[in-house]
Amino acid sequence: MFSSLNIKIGLYLALRQIRRASLWTTSLIIFVMILTFLNLVVVSGVLVGLIQGSIDQVRTKYTSDVIVSTLNDKAYIENSPNIIALIKSMPEVAAISPRYRESGSLEANYKTRKDTDKPNTAPGQVAGIDPKEENAVTGIAKDIVEGSFLEEGDYDQVVLGHYLLKQYVPIETPAFSTLNNVGIGTKIRLKVGDVTREVTVKGIIKSKVDEIALRTFMLDTQFRSIIGRTDGNVSEIAIKLKPGSDPVAVRDSLKRSGVDRYAKVQTYEDAQPKFLQDIVATFNMLGNAFSSIGLVVASITIFIVIFINALTRRKYIGILKGIGISGNAIEMSYVFQSIFYALFGSAIGLLLVYGFLVPAFAAHPIDFPFSDGILVAPFDQTFFRVGLLVIATLVAGYIPAWMIIRKNTLDSILGRN
Amino acid sequence: MIQTKNLTRSFKNGDVITQVLKGIDFAAHDGEFVSIMGRSGAGKSTLLYQLSLLDDPTGGEILIDGHQAHTMSPEEKMLFRLVKFGYVFQDYALLPELTALENVALPLLMQGKGKREAYKISQEALERAGLGKRLGNLSSQLSGGEQQRVSIVRAIAHQPKVLFADEPTANLDNESSKVIMDIFLELHRAGQTIIMVTHEEPYAKLADRIVHLDDGKIVSTTENQRRG
Repeated sequence: MFSSLNIKIGLYLALRQIRRASLWTTSLIIFVMILTFLNLVVVSGVLVGLIQGSIDQVRTKYTSDVIVSTLNDKAYIENSPNIIALIKSMPEVAAISPRYRESGSLEANYKTRKDTDKPNTAPGQVAGIDPKEENAVTGIAKDIVEGSFLEEGDYDQVVLGHYLLKQYVPIETPAFSTLNNVGIGTKIRLKVGDVTREVTVKGIIKSKVDEIALRTFMLDTQFRSIIGRTDGNVSEIAIKLKPGSDPVAVRDSLKRSGVDRYAKVQTYEDAQPKFLQDIVATFNMLGNAFSSIGLVVASITIFIVIFINALTRRKYIGILKGIGISGNAIEMSYVFQSIFYALFGSAIGLLLVYGFLVPAFAAHPIDFPFSDGILVAPFDQTFFRVGLLVIATLVAGYIPAWMIIRKNTLDSILGRN
Repeated sequence: MIQTKNLTRSFKNGDVITQVLKGIDFAAHDGEFVSIMGRSGAGKSTLLYQLSLLDDPTGGEILIDGHQAHTMSPEEKMLFRLVKFGYVFQDYALLPELTALENVALPLLMQGKGKREAYKISQEALERAGLGKRLGNLSSQLSGGEQQRVSIVRAIAHQPKVLFADEPTANLDNESSKVIMDIFLELHRAGQTIIMVTHEEPYAKLADRIVHLDDGKIVSTTENQRRG
């Protein structure tokens, strides 16, 4: 049926029909294919990118590639100095940031309030960090929007996450208390356990990562004295790896070294909350649903285009059959034309996605309230969709050609119905 | 030899059945040039379509060299048309997206010839027809006479057993028509069997024999004296 001769003749006819077709018609069909391709790849890519942007931010700004944190039943990571030394000795490790972390609360306007007034407090995590090490891992100093980041030698100074301040949180809810009239230079009370310390706000950091936006940062050296920790045991260690290193391999290596007896060892993916993974799966499903609709629309478009093309060329199809060209060869010519449109449209689409859209989204992410939305277009998934598009257009091109070609040869030549 | 016995063809339109061919007994011998004439609606083109296996008769038999052609499958008929027959249509029927050379080469390629060989045969045939400088032209870039000459070259390039022509000069001026008929005569002198439908008597008289059709029946046959 589809012999090599039929394929050869089909290709011969298709190449000439494409080459000598109207430029406008060809351009229009290819334009439709480009839009379809973008619909297939970009819509789901942006949906997934919403969450992926959030995941990336958590990785970049908080967990880094691997995070070692306290066991659920412990207050800190026991044997931390040895673990830190072990991590630093690993060749894959580029930088680490050991952090002390405790729950605490902040109070503002305590000097002016009357005894009958309700205190203006905000709860949150307080983190003691080494500013240089933290910045080497997460670079959060760049996210300071007011004031400046912590430096070595700072005394009783803190950097606040912006969700702790009323001016940055436009919503008011009893479940979410914020500090009022607090800015750079304002003195506030920091309470951790039984210890209360008056500190000065040095900087305000803005982040879409809740672990940053709801935290108060101060120097680890000072924080240790507040929480009374002198043994060097920390609460978490964020580990940044050298480019090309595999977080899973590093995690497993640490576990093999026995670190998991003292702490949880997780890659940035392990540390993702399950709901985030569920959202990614849901958005993937939604994206696939939208893509499927796009695929059906593309198939119908190609069907209509090929059907009209074959219908207007019915006389010539009749002549081809009349002079002995096999119907399968003629069908193949339309199949090849469909494949050409799909591949050419996809090729331009690929160039647009990887040459322009992905870099553009990376440079200028969509500013969503909870994340910086990027375009996620993994090569394997994209090429799978190109394959789907080609198969859909192949079928959509074949059916109308088959419908026209099976009509009576003489009726086609004479234009009879 | 191509022959029909009691050939009938009718068309059904709703409840109305129109009998176009009413029991045709026709024969064309190898190397013969036969013209089929008749007034409009007489059934001459319909007869040509049956003979050339482009259409299926309602009844009767078509015999080609003694083989029953009307019982062939569509694929067998397609192969027969490709290898044994050549067609010249009234409106040239060239494929608009192919050049003159490609139009001629296409049936040769379908016969399984390589591109180089098919193009060589086609080029030589077109040059013999005086179209050597038109090889790369699309049909839209050729005059009516040139298009019909390309159509004839396409029909004969594979050396068919029978050449069928359906009013080949109908759309041409006198000068171009004469060129076409000269080609037909030359082919006939070389031994080509030709069956031509025409309504132009001067051209019909160039054939060995004229078959006159009226109301779906052969009413007379005239042997021409041209060759005698």
